[in-house]
This record gives sequence, C-alpha cells and structure tokens, in this order.
Amino acid sequence: MARTRVWQAQARPWRAYWRDHGRVLRDTLGYLSGRFVTTLWVWLTIGVALAVPAAIYLLEANLVRAAGQWRENTGFSVYFEAGVELEGPQALVRRLEAMDGIERVWLTTPDAALAEFRELSGVSDALELLDNNPLPASVRATVTSAVSPAGLAILAEQAAGTDGVEDVVVERSWLERLGALREIVIRLYWSLTAILGLGAVLISGATVRLAIEARLGEVKVLTLVGAGRGYVRRPFLYLGAAYGLGGAVIAAMAISALLLFLEEPLVRLFGSYGRDLEITGFDPIFHAMLLASGGALGVVGAVVASSQRLNRLNVA
Amino acid sequence: MGIEFQHVVKRFENGTEALSDVSVTIPPGSLTFLTGHSGAGKSTFLNLVLRADRPTRGKVLVNGVDIAGLKRRHLPVYRRHLGAVFQDGQLLDGRSIFHNVALPLHVAGMRARDVGRRVRAALESVDLLRKAELLPGQLSAGERQRVVIARAVVNRPKILLADEPTGNLDPTLSRSIMALFRRFHDVGVTVVVASHDTELVGTMGSRVVELDHGRVVSQGRANGDG
Repeated sequence: MARTRVWQAQARPWRAYWRDHGRVLRDTLGYLSGRFVTTLWVWLTIGVALAVPAAIYLLEANLVRAAGQWRENTGFSVYFEAGVELEGPQALVRRLEAMDGIERVWLTTPDAALAEFRELSGVSDALELLDNNPLPASVRATVTSAVSPAGLAILAEQAAGTDGVEDVVVERSWLERLGALREIVIRLYWSLTAILGLGAVLISGATVRLAIEARLGEVKVLTLVGAGRGYVRRPFLYLGAAYGLGGAVIAAMAISALLLFLEEPLVRLFGSYGRDLEITGFDPIFHAMLLASGGALGVVGAVVASSQRLNRLNVA
Repeated sequence: MGIEFQHVVKRFENGTEALSDVSVTIPPGSLTFLTGHSGAGKSTFLNLVLRADRPTRGKVLVNGVDIAGLKRRHLPVYRRHLGAVFQDGQLLDGRSIFHNVALPLHVAGMRARDVGRRVRAALESVDLLRKAELLPGQLSAGERQRVVIARAVVNRPKILLADEPTGNLDPTLSRSIMALFRRFHDVGVTVVVASHDTELVGTMGSRVVELDHGRVVSQGRANGDG
C-alpha cells in the first residue's frame, strides 16, 4: 500500500510545535481575560476545593511537630524493690540506652529520690525519724516520636523482665490520644482530598466543556482542514491548566489569610508553653505542590471533558 | 487523485438510507458536479470522501486506496490533501481573513514566512488580498464564500470538495464562484461540487452525476456554454 504513505503523519517541525504552544498560551490568556468574571468564579470554586485539604495537611504537619515538642513526658518508669543493689538499675540504664526508640534515660538512686521527696514534700522533719530510706531506685526512660503506643508497651515489657523490678508505670495515655487524633486528621485529609479533588476535576471539566461548546464551529473547521486531536485539544488543556493553577493561587492566598487570622491566638497558645510560634510546611515546596496539584487536576478535568466531546464529534 | 465509489451504501442509525448502491468514478483532475434535490445524498457523498463518515457497505477509493481502512492517526494528514468548501462557510469570526485562510497551513506546521506567501497568493486568486486584515463580519456573503474557497485551496489540495457553495448567493456571484472552481480544475485539481442549481450546473459543460433518493440516476456531461 505504497500510496497510503502519502497520508502518513509527517513529523511537524519543533519550531512549529513551540510556536503553536506560544499561540495557544496567548489565546488562552485572551480567552480568560475576555471572560474575567466567569474565570474568577471558577478560580474561587477550585480554590476552595484545594484550600480545605491543603489546610488540613498543614494542620497535620504542625500537629505532629507540636506534639513532638509537648510529649517529653511520654515514656515509662521502672521501680525496683527497696534495698536492691545499684548494679541492677545501672545495668538497665545501659541496656535501655542501647535500644532503638529510647530518647533519654535517667537513674534516680534511693538517696536522690529521698532528697527530692524531702524538698518537694516539706515533711523533712518526719523523714528524719525513719531508720532506713524506704524509697526504691528507679529508672525513667522517654521514647522518640517514632515509637507507637504498641512499641512503648514492648519496651516497657522488656524493662520489666529485669531482676529486682517491682513495678513498671507506662505514661502512654497522651501518646494514645495523639495517635488517635493524628489518625482522624489523616483520614479526614485523604477523604477531603479525594472528594474535593474530584470536585476540582468536575468544575474544570464542566467549564472546559462549555468552552468546547462555545468553540464548536472552530473545532469543526480545524478538523476539516486536517488538524489532529492534539492540535484541536491543546487550547482546552491549556484552559484546564489555567483554571487549576488559578485555583491553586486562590487556595494559597486563602491559607495565608487563615494563618494571619489565627496568628494572634496561636502566638498566645505557644507562648503559654514557653515556645515561639513557628508554622512548618507553609514553604516554597508546599506552594509548588499546591500549584502542581491544581494544574494537574485542571488538566485532568480538561482531558476527560475534551476526550468525551471530541469522540462524539469524531475528531481524529 | 481520482475518487471511486464501489457499490456504496450509507445507512444512518435512524434507518435512513442516504446512499443506495452508488457506484461512481471521478477521474483525477476532473470537474464533477453532483446534482439532485435536497436529501438526494450529495452531502453524504462528500462526507464519505472527507472520511467524516464511513460507508455502511461498499468501498470509497481515493487515489486507489480504500479510505475506510485509514487509521485514525492518518486521517488529519489525509484531510490536508483535500480542500473543503461548505455553504455555511464556517469562518472564525474573531480572526482576521488572513488568519482564517492561514489556518490549514498553521495546522500543517508551515513556517511563518511561507504561510504569508501562500495566504497572499490564495487571497489574490479570489481577489480579496486587499481585505486580508478585515474580520469575516465585515465582508459580504459572496466575499465570505471566496474566503472559504481561499482557505480550501491554500494548502494546494489534490481534491477540492464543495457542498452548495453558491446556495445563498445571487446568480452573478454564483457564476463567479463557479468560475473559480473551473480555474482550480484547470490547474489539475480534482473538483467535486454538490449543487441543487441544475440551471447553473448546466452552463458549466462539465461532468454531472445526478442523485435521487440516494441512487445515481444519471451520469454524463452537461451541455454548457462555459
């Protein structure tokens, strides 16, 4: 079928390809500015859809960080039987220090415990009457943020197996609550990301579909003069990307406004813990991700809408 | 390029049979008129050549190749070898005449310098070069139709298809449009014009295929004066 070769696609020059992109970009900007109110409306709608999961992402990132600062008491205390020689607690300290997940270990000798008790209790006179020090040696360990409640229980169990140990007290209620809270926030984040991301795709797709309907005559003419699907579809993909990117900019502005609004009470809250307010995550990487997500969702909407419509128009 | 219809049947989804066992040969470089009343199957015939549609049965051969078998990715390039003129022109209202005519060349990825040269030549051939910067809305119906013809020929097609190109024009303008088609035929382009205006077609002295209810009722040469 040598004669069919004449109809096989010949590679278009790269210069023509980039010139098309430049032309489409100019046309897209012209199209958007010519319908500014509609464009702004779409940007605001997509912006809200992106801002909610993005704000929850920031909340989760800062929750973990703040929790890391406030969880210094998370760990366990090992109380030895009264009268146990110090070699046992000291050996436990060395063993715990070598374990993964252990942040810090303290040994409190019976004498140190008595001195502390004397100072804190205000009953030093009564203590003078005792023949022997009744307080046991104890070892306290805190764990790193990577340790889960289950991991903490395992560490405590290992410590409890030491000779001479009478009791092990695990302070995990805070860790368990934090874990549950994080789980809720993460699930909320993914659920809202899925729902509102789908919403952004649908908004972009519906708006692009309207643009296709408005330019149906142009689409038919382009098909008639030999434009391929890529050429016909390109302006609509640019339009979808522009809607998504604009929505992401609106979302970033909304989150900035939210943080400004919350700054004063947050400063007070952090101050009450003796810390300065420092929001993590609201950085250039976050903004880049937000823009990329917005652009991608906009393009996905445009691809879905244009594929569907151009298939019905039988555009090759 | 020649066109050959071999026992072509086109039946639409609603059951309407637009073409029934049509066998027609249009030689390369000929000027052929398709005539018949509204609904005779003229537009369907042209759409099958454009590969905007596929036959239900039979073969449509262009340059000896069954175009129903063309792959989707080859269709745009195939259509770049055709020029199409339709009654409702379909010019892009927001673009200048120059840009409208340049469209097939932009689609083909031609260099800007060559685009300018080709578009000026095409507009010159339809005597509209002086109006290149105007918008379609600023032209008369006859001028707009000439712009559509310029757009159809700017890519130097091997086949020029026209569906009722004089449908809404007065007799004088219609004759001038037909004269343009004859000029393209004179330089070797295969021209197929669908028209219900049998009087006008009769004056052209060209090959005529008459369709009625989707069937070929006559084929031959009109006895024209032109």
